[in-house]
Parts: sequence; C-alpha cells; structure tokens
Amino acid sequence: MTWHSRHDLPWLLAFVLPAFVIVVAVQFYPLAYSAVLSVQEWSLTESQAPLGFVGLDNFREELGDSTFQRSVRNSIVITGGAVILEMFLGVFLAYLTMGSSWRMRAVRTLLILPMVIAPVAAGTLWRILLNSRAGLVNHLLSAIGVQGPEWLASPDWALVSVIMLDTWQWTPFVLLVAGAAIASIPTDLLEVAAIDGASRWRTFLHVELPLLMPLLLLTLVFRMLESLLSLDSIYSLTFGGPGFSTYTMTFYIYTQGLRNFNFGAAAASSWIFMAFASLSIWLAFRFQRRDW
Amino acid sequence: MSRSNSFSRNILALLRLLILAIACLAVLVPLAYLVINSIKLPREFLTVPPTILPTEVTFQHYEELIDDSKTIRYFRNSLTVALWTTAITILSGTLAAYGLARMRLAARFLALITFLFLFIRFYPRVTTVIPFFLVMRELDLLDTVWAIIIGQLGITIPFVTWLMLVVFQDLPAEIEEAAIVDGASIWQRFWRVVLPIVMPSVSAAAILTAFLSWNEFLIASSVARRKASVLSIAVASFVSDKGIQWGPMAAMSVVMIVPMIIFALFAQKYLIRGITFGAVKG
Repeated sequence: MTWHSRHDLPWLLAFVLPAFVIVVAVQFYPLAYSAVLSVQEWSLTESQAPLGFVGLDNFREELGDSTFQRSVRNSIVITGGAVILEMFLGVFLAYLTMGSSWRMRAVRTLLILPMVIAPVAAGTLWRILLNSRAGLVNHLLSAIGVQGPEWLASPDWALVSVIMLDTWQWTPFVLLVAGAAIASIPTDLLEVAAIDGASRWRTFLHVELPLLMPLLLLTLVFRMLESLLSLDSIYSLTFGGPGFSTYTMTFYIYTQGLRNFNFGAAAASSWIFMAFASLSIWLAFRFQRRDW
Repeated sequence: MSRSNSFSRNILALLRLLILAIACLAVLVPLAYLVINSIKLPREFLTVPPTILPTEVTFQHYEELIDDSKTIRYFRNSLTVALWTTAITILSGTLAAYGLARMRLAARFLALITFLFLFIRFYPRVTTVIPFFLVMRELDLLDTVWAIIIGQLGITIPFVTWLMLVVFQDLPAEIEEAAIVDGASIWQRFWRVVLPIVMPSVSAAAILTAFLSWNEFLIASSVARRKASVLSIAVASFVSDKGIQWGPMAAMSVVMIVPMIIFALFAQKYLIRGITFGAVKG
C-alpha cells in the first residue's frame, strides 16, 4: 500500500494541470504549428495567409541557400571555439579558486559576474571594447606594440569577437559547475593518491578526471546547446555582420522569420536545426541519467 | 632538496595569484569601461588614442534617458514582466513538481518527463517564436506585456518544475507521514509541512526565474516592439538604429546590468544553488 491514499490522485492531477496547460499551449502547440508552416508557402510580405502546401520545397531551398550554409558553418566555428575554450578555462579556474577562505570566495563571486549580465548588454559592452579605433582592447594591444585588427569590420575577426564574448560570459558557468563537482570529490581519495606518491598532475589525470568526466560531458553538451541557440549577444555585438559573416543558425532563422517575414522558409530551416539539436539533447539525456 | 621544493611551491603560489588577478581584471575592466563610457562627453568617444579616463564627468546620457518617458516605461515593463513571470512560475511550477513527485510514476514515465524537460529547455526556440507571434496576433495580444509573460512562462515553468521535482523526490517520506496520521489533507501537507522545508530551493528557483525573465530577449523582441517594449529590446535597438549612439547605449546597458549585479551579490548563495543544481543533480 502506498503511503498516501488513493483519493489524493485527483488533487495531484489538479496540481499538475495549470503548468501542463501552459506548457502545451506555449510550447507544443506552436511547435506543431511550426511543423505545418514548414511545408507551406508563406511570406507575409506577399500575403496575410499561407499560400498553400508546397511539400519539401522549403527544405530544399533552404539547404541550397548560400546564407543558410554559411550560417551552419559559422555556428560550428563559434560554438566549437567558444565551448572548447570555456571548458578548459572553466576547469582550470575552478582548480585555482578552490578553497573556502574569504579571499577565494570573493574571487569566485567576482568571476561569475559576467554570467548575470543580460547577453544583449554584454554584446553592447564588447562592441564598445572592440571598437577598432577608440576601443579599449586595441588601445591595450598598441600599448604592448601590437596593431589590433578591425575586430568587428573584418569577417574573420568578427567571428573571433563573437567567440571572445561567449567565452567571457560563459566560462563562469563551467567554473561554477566544475567547482561544485571538484568540491564533492571525497578528500580521502586524493589523500590515498598523495600517500602513494602520485604527483598532483597524475592524481588529476587518473583519479579526479575520470570522476569528473560524466559531469564535464554534460556541461559540455549544455554549453554547446546554449551557445548554438544564443541570439541576443550576436544581435547586439555584430548583428550578423559584416555582411553575413557572423550569421549563425539562430540569427539566420530569426531574420528570415521576423525581419523578412518569410515564415515558410524560417520554419523549414528551424526544423533542420531542430534535427541536430534533438540529437544533442538526447546525448545530454544519456549523460545525465548515468550514475556517478 | 626541501628548500628547492618550497621555492618551487612559492613560484606556483605566485603564478596562481597572478593568473587569478588577470582573470579578475578580465571581468572587472570591461564592466568599469562600460560605466566610464556612460559618463563620458560625446566628443571624447571616438578620439584616437581613446580617452580611457574622461577629462570631465557628465551625467547627460542618464539625464537624457530619464527625460525620455520611454526609458521609464521600458524599466517598468521589464519589472512587470519579471514579477508576474516569477510569481506565476513559482506557483504553478512548485505545485506541478509536488504533484509529479507524489504520483509515484513508473520509472519509464519519469524518464520520459525528464527528457521532455530537457527538450523544452534546449530545443531551438526560434522554431516556436513565429507560430507564437501568429497566435498572439490572433488573440490580439501583440505588443502587450502579457504576450511576453505568457511566452516566458513556457520556458520558466518547465525549468522550475524540473528543479523542484528533484527536490521533492529527495525529501524523505517520513516527513509527511506524521501529518497523514493526523488526517491532514494533501493540500495541508503541501502547504504546512513540505513547503516550509523546501523554501530555500523555492527561493533559488524564484531568483533564477527573475534573472531569466529580466534578461530575456528573443520572445520579448518578437511579440513586443513598441508599447510593451522592455529593457533588453531597448539595449539592442541602439545597434540597428541610425549609427550608434555610444553614450546612451552605454548608459542604457548600465541601467539594465546594475540591478542584476546588485541582486546577484545579495542573492549569490541562492543563485549559485539554482544554476549548479540543474546540471549537478537532475
């Protein structure tokens, strides 16, 4: 017999109902709607209502579109670059800031500040820093004799700028999660390793890293997905520019849908994106359900 | 031997301090530079070499923002959206989590729910933004704070439900057993027994929700561009509009960032708990 009585069930269902209704109405209904849109011809500039079923034409057009292809490439470069940097820096800093002295606590508090800043504002902040003539970054570079690049005006450096911004803002997340994980490693394990004469580095490699790995993988997937989905910071840092050189998947779909009002095309490309994201989400799910 | 050992130990300690100092500067200097830019005279913006410290402090950018009735409205809208979103999310999310936790669902079903929560958190949200825009247009809610609130609820409710579900599952059953023996209804058990115990987690969830809502851009920018516009849209708008107005842009960013930094410093414990929780537990 369960420890709560049968007549609790209607109550429990009633507890779940409001949340359930809101989530279905705001998430699943629009999701289904968007699947329908993806096979329709509809551009708001031409018509107020969908112009009919076109099968997979939208998908074919999007996959062949050069801006779409470029956005995919940019997304891979930005997310790949930023997330790798964040993982290494985050774990490294987590080790350096270990300890419970008030100094280390203060340092940790300071280091996680970028994370609480609105991504749009972080974008404008870096736009000011990276201004090629009057920005602080190039000024500091020139102080050590380096001629700084035209950060936001050159296609390649603009990509680097976006990676820098993402790394600046989200390394703290890795720092936090890795820090919590490191702190939860039983100290006697480390003591045993030290008594056995293992060096600090070997202890890290053979004792700590295997213990941290599942959580680090999960953090990696989380960061990867969030970086892929981010729109705000690119919007205010580069607005996809110069030209299309920092268009990401998310930014491309956003402009297709809400600037060009090309609903069919936007829906189709977002479902292509969805296929990839779903795979990553499934991976996160697998990592998360492992016991450690 | 031991001497050279302590020597290299000192070098390492020094190196650690140095790296931490650089990391702290990398966080602080950009923030300070933003604040400095918001109190710089317009003529000092694009000088080469840049004026790092302004010769003269001016509050004209802030005065302009305050004189413009729009800024006050953005601020008020941001606050309204964050408060309503947080209140509704905590109420319905905590209840739903308790309901799910006490239903004694089969493991398979719980796994499915966990997957759905993950999916909702991470699928490309741009996918649903356009249909959501169309639905809001149909309901005549475009350009109202309610369009933003409803849209954000779709993100925050699953998030909070997920966080709280883990909290309730970890709660030992004995806590409620005494109340059951006393004949308390499930509502009384939830309200009088369980809720006071999990209050710290509820606070963490509330604080995180408020942050997400205040900083949110995608949904706000897709359903509200004029009357119901919020601070995130205002900050972003300086970029696409004719040229960049550096001073007002910096000042508006400061207006948006500072409340959150102060909030974060006070609520740090809860915030960190909320952020790490989703990843570490779950």
